[in-house]
Amino acid sequence: MEHTKNNGGFTYEEAAALARRKNETVVPGFCSMCGPNGGCGIYAFVKDGRLIRVAGMAESPKNKGSLCAKGLASAQWLYSPDRLKYPLLRKGKKGEGIFEKISWDDAISIIADKLSEQKRLYGPESLAILAPALRTYNPLMQRFLTVHGSPNYGHSGICAMQRMFGFSYTIGGYPACDYEHSDLIIYWARQPVYSGPATEIAKSLVRAVKRGAKIITIKPSLEADGELGSLWLPIRPGTDAALALAMLHVIITEDLIDHDFVSQWCYGYDRLKQHIARYSPQWAQDICGIPAEQIQSTARLYARTKAAAIDVGNGVEHAPSSCDAIRAIAMLMAITGHLNRPGCNMVGQPPAVPSPAPLHLNERYTPEMVDRLVAPEFPKAFQPFMEGTSSAYFRIFESVLTKKPYPIRAIIAPGTQPLVSTRGSGLVMEALRQLDFFVTVDVTRPAEMNYADIVLPTTTPYEADHPFEAQGNWIMARRRIVEPLGDYKSIFEFILELAVKMGYGADFWNGDIKAMEAYRLAPLHITPEELYSHPQGIVLTPKPQPAVDFKTAFGRKSPRLAHDRFLPQQKVALYNILFEQEGFEPMPVWREPPESLTATPHLRDRYPLILTDYHTTKSFTASWQRNVVSLREIQPEPTVHIHPDTAAQRGIKNGDWVRVESPHGWLKVRAELYPGIRPDTVMIQHGWWQGCGELGLPDTPILDGGANVNHLYSTDPQKAYDPLVTAMSSQTLVEVSLYEQ
Amino acid sequence: MSNKELGFVFKKELCIQCHACESACKNWHHTGPGVKWRRIAHRWQGNYPFVSGYTLSLACMHCLNPECTRVCPAGAIKKHPDTGAVLVEPSKCIGCGRCLKACPVKAPQFGADGRMQKCDLCYGDPAVFDTSEPPCIRACPTQALSLQWRTPQEKADDERQMTDLAKD
Repeated sequence: MEHTKNNGGFTYEEAAALARRKNETVVPGFCSMCGPNGGCGIYAFVKDGRLIRVAGMAESPKNKGSLCAKGLASAQWLYSPDRLKYPLLRKGKKGEGIFEKISWDDAISIIADKLSEQKRLYGPESLAILAPALRTYNPLMQRFLTVHGSPNYGHSGICAMQRMFGFSYTIGGYPACDYEHSDLIIYWARQPVYSGPATEIAKSLVRAVKRGAKIITIKPSLEADGELGSLWLPIRPGTDAALALAMLHVIITEDLIDHDFVSQWCYGYDRLKQHIARYSPQWAQDICGIPAEQIQSTARLYARTKAAAIDVGNGVEHAPSSCDAIRAIAMLMAITGHLNRPGCNMVGQPPAVPSPAPLHLNERYTPEMVDRLVAPEFPKAFQPFMEGTSSAYFRIFESVLTKKPYPIRAIIAPGTQPLVSTRGSGLVMEALRQLDFFVTVDVTRPAEMNYADIVLPTTTPYEADHPFEAQGNWIMARRRIVEPLGDYKSIFEFILELAVKMGYGADFWNGDIKAMEAYRLAPLHITPEELYSHPQGIVLTPKPQPAVDFKTAFGRKSPRLAHDRFLPQQKVALYNILFEQEGFEPMPVWREPPESLTATPHLRDRYPLILTDYHTTKSFTASWQRNVVSLREIQPEPTVHIHPDTAAQRGIKNGDWVRVESPHGWLKVRAELYPGIRPDTVMIQHGWWQGCGELGLPDTPILDGGANVNHLYSTDPQKAYDPLVTAMSSQTLVEVSLYEQ
Repeated sequence: MSNKELGFVFKKELCIQCHACESACKNWHHTGPGVKWRRIAHRWQGNYPFVSGYTLSLACMHCLNPECTRVCPAGAIKKHPDTGAVLVEPSKCIGCGRCLKACPVKAPQFGADGRMQKCDLCYGDPAVFDTSEPPCIRACPTQALSLQWRTPQEKADDERQMTDLAKD
């Protein structure tokens, strides 16, 4: 072994040399263990048709050879005993789990017949497809819905599009961070290292720490990212809007604004100034739990640091005041002059390289389709949004129960586990019992399998030779690493074959995946063969980027049917007349979670602690991968993070089994004494249900007595949602006590 | 590099607790359930709200003068003359666990066969050993972990630093 050079990962030559020594072959590929930030480049080492291990691909611009714990465990996922083996048809009652094996042809025929019949009887909108975390196939499912005639693509209401909406309708687009030049980075409700640690997001944090930039992290518990020298603002869950409003208050009352920018590029400053007077730091401290002085000093530091960026994470999308938090943060960036300057937030930058042809058919949306949305994720006046028309994921299930405005009759759920992925698991379970037709599509056994009429087992991406992936300026063909281990199809094959069966073939390349791939590649002027001939893919040279002027950035067209501008005045919407016209608040306001220490003081005696959950974890992707041995060994059991003082008051020691009870149900998890969490708050990782047979760990219940945190939250239609973006609250009040049999 | 030995150098200020090193080791060496030749640990410092902490990537440090070698009653643990790697001969191991007690970072592991196993600097897999870096280091996204030729003084300092950091 030579002296280390630590470039990270393997080059193709190094990987091939190792494979030769070990009598293996090496296949370049994509990691498939997470999403939507997935798709790091890997080298897969294969022997006798079996994947032995993977390594990071040094040539990939995405991960530059690094890989994370999940990616390195790829082979354990591929060969897990929990994988589905062949298509199944339900024989017993819903929930019983009695199935019979059927062929793919029969499964597709049954689905096609049912969807055609329901379309005839109830209209095409009776079908909903639930969105998984963003993958390359998502727009293909939207294409299917559009051709079928349904607008009901069920988006979770808690991921990315909520930020995209609030930012777009306030500052014209998503404010990317120019991390490399920042002297101050505020990570707000953000987890920059557990989600895609092998990618640039995590590395840029480490680089910023190394060069001495100030880092502030705003979240209820301190994690590894915040320990790298950040100032931690321990905020109460779900109160980001209160903090952002109070920071606006400080900046406006102390006149720390960029006067030139505000007078030239902001609309409604005087009204905002008047409006913000009520949201003082003293008001906010009782709600968000951060002392007024710290709110003031943070606001001043941000306003006075020239190169300062705010990186807003998914955490702000889990509260009834989600959109207001996002708008208020956008306003912070704008009025302090922190947009489109070095080290700040960049908005309106056009893509530096061309994208593949989109798979959706957004040009076919009609006012009638928008009007038929069963539960608009964004108000109908703002549909379609970026990803197309969409209904709120949970409200699709509600419609099954309430029949309002009409019941969804069929749901296809690919790579998403509604029983554990959305709030109100009990209601989802009841809706699944009552639903006419439910198709689940996954790689391993999904949580709601027993309620499915048809269970479809898909290939892992390691067993498929499509789709190619384009990530930024890196584009690479997918090679099949191993032959499918069971009677599998890829999700692309499933959707294309179903479309052909239903007579939609003309819009689906008549079922020819190669033709679909050629269609996607056409705008890049690359043929599939040409792409395949580059084992590590092609790195496109970005076009030189002219500086974006504010007129262009604030003049972007929205995806609404009329394609009118996000910002009618082509200025930052401090006062939003579009929202006002539709009956929503023109300026951001504070709205309490359904249950909180300040909103429901009458609950404090019985439930004195705030509960929220971790959305992203270092060892699992959402609700999956608890079956993967080496990942499960990192976190063997579901735990609740509880401050040692809070635990001591209850006689709880580290590792004790505890009962966590909210007004909506209770869980059994282990206590993890965690000094880096607010003493009035406890946190659980979401998505627990799956066992790990190899480690002797059984499945846990979905509802009471299990560890599925989504069971504990309110789904009160009046209180649990953000009115504009249907973000669902993941805050409630709980008591934690020693578990007694 | 006459008297230099190979040694892991860990910079805690760069570690983001991604567990890639731990997972790389497990999935490249296919160690059994419950066995971790490299593991991630975390230590808290201070009190709320002025609390912080750090993450550690722990494995055998291949010490200059290994305590495990000294206490092993079976003579199963030896230092490799070329690299200083501390290697265990499983056939000699009697599974008494004294090495674990003696180890300042609790690196020795005991799998289903009851015999001690641990990081062997990839000596057990010659093809991997002959690459320039072990998989744990190649996977690290932030260069927090590296393997370097160290002088006896440097290695003693590394050992002391890791031993201190690993204390509860």
